Amino acid sequence: MKYMIMMFGTAGEMMETQSPEWIKEMIGFMRNLDRELVESGEMVFNEGLQDSDAAKVVRLTDGVPVTTDGPYAEAKESLIGFWILDVADEARILEIAGRIVRYSGMVEVRPVGVAPDVA
Amino acid sequence: MSRPDPSRPDPSLPGVEELLRELAPQVLGILVRRYGRFDACEDAVQEALLAAAQQWPADGLPTSPRSWLVTVASRRLVDEWRSEGARQRREEAVAALEVEPGPTESADDTLTLLLLCCHPALSVPSQLALTLRAVGGLTTAEIAAAFLVPEPTMAQRISRAKQTVRGARFALPPPAELPERLRVVLHVLYLIFNEGYSASSGERAQRTDLTAEAVRLARLVRSLVPDDGEVAGLLALMLLTEARRPARTDADGLLVSLADQDRSRWDRDLIQEGVGLISRTLGRGPVGPYQLQAAIAAVHDEAASDADTDWPQILALYDVLQRVSPGPVVTLNRAVAVAMVHGPLAGLAELGTLDDDDRMTRGHRLDAVRAHLLELAGDRPAAVAAYRRAAKRAASVPEQHYLALRAARLS
Repeated sequence: MKYMIMMFGTAGEMMETQSPEWIKEMIGFMRNLDRELVESGEMVFNEGLQDSDAAKVVRLTDGVPVTTDGPYAEAKESLIGFWILDVADEARILEIAGRIVRYSGMVEVRPVGVAPDVA
Repeated sequence: MSRPDPSRPDPSLPGVEELLRELAPQVLGILVRRYGRFDACEDAVQEALLAAAQQWPADGLPTSPRSWLVTVASRRLVDEWRSEGARQRREEAVAALEVEPGPTESADDTLTLLLLCCHPALSVPSQLALTLRAVGGLTTAEIAAAFLVPEPTMAQRISRAKQTVRGARFALPPPAELPERLRVVLHVLYLIFNEGYSASSGERAQRTDLTAEAVRLARLVRSLVPDDGEVAGLLALMLLTEARRPARTDADGLLVSLADQDRSRWDRDLIQEGVGLISRTLGRGPVGPYQLQAAIAAVHDEAASDADTDWPQILALYDVLQRVSPGPVVTLNRAVAVAMVHGPLAGLAELGTLDDDDRMTRGHRLDAVRAHLLELAGDRPAAVAAYRRAAKRAASVPEQHYLALRAARLS
């Protein structure tokens, strides 16, 4: 089963609130986790994102696409990275999410859409 | 070099893979010269390489590996075209009478092929992909893995690129145009190297080794155009940069700045080769940006410690580089040399000239260098703020981590 794990937070807030030791530990954790998920064959795709102030939002305004700078969301609402993993079951994805959340305020887990059944 | 690709089993016969990659552009050159139609020939050569990778380890090497590949690829091509009528059969008969090209024709073919893959009508990502496949002999799956894109996406990119250049004449450009076209090839190789080098920080442990491939291709170009100073300069720059790779990350996989690197981990053989090459090249012809960057890298690589670095020499080289090839990145790097020779405040004043340059203010590098110089000047609060601004803008995760740690250590 494929799931997406979304991790929330910002690098800006992390740098202001965490110690060098914590940052180093977090970096080590992320590297080891990614390696472990590649080796287990569960990793489909993953990326870290830049902070949300690098974002642009495109809205349809009176039928015209209008671009504005950033959502500037609160750190806890701001997507900072994601993994798409192919795991055996929901218990496994929640186990992985439980490890990631120690280094992030919140993570969201959602099943990836599947192809329609062939009747 | 680890290139996981199920479609090309790791041949047990030692050297088969290297041999195939070396022969790939030669065989393709022969086919395109005979039949035209670069796109169809390229597909046929890939199939022949695959067949060889499967058969040679089991059956042993054929007497003439190149002729074997030419024959198998030609057969694929002709099978493909059989439905198009008797015309090809006549051409095939003519082709069979042709003698094998000698070393000169073969070298010209490979250079022509490189120039075609780096055709100005192609986008830069297409130039990179096509060069790696048609000249480097990598499979689409390997190239896709190296650039972290899905294989169908890369297949499409390569296929479109081949469509774009299929009408181009397969011949060397007039001598007057050659230097300009060669500059594009060098830029493509430089980008392939950089792609590999910036990814080599451990974040993507299993990526195809693009730096090794770029070095191999640069050696190939040097063998084709031995008298071009910029070709030699680019190869030297790659060797001198690659030499530091083992020290570029620490045991935890974190980036280590040049000043803090454990120089005993630098590759002495690569340094010796790179220094020798750039020393023989400088002064023999017109100086260009790759030669100057290689010379700067050589000064760093030859210093026993950061404190022993000959900064006045580096600054003098940057002065020439700024005249030959001015640009904001040169100004940025030169500012560090200015700071090391004339003090951090002088370096910071240099950086000030970039504050209105859009190309710099959008990225993280200006703030990263400013943070470093502010740290040297003893202004910790300003350095922390600049490191944080840089970390927030850094597009690569390892660089973001490096800058975040610098900020955290000072605050």
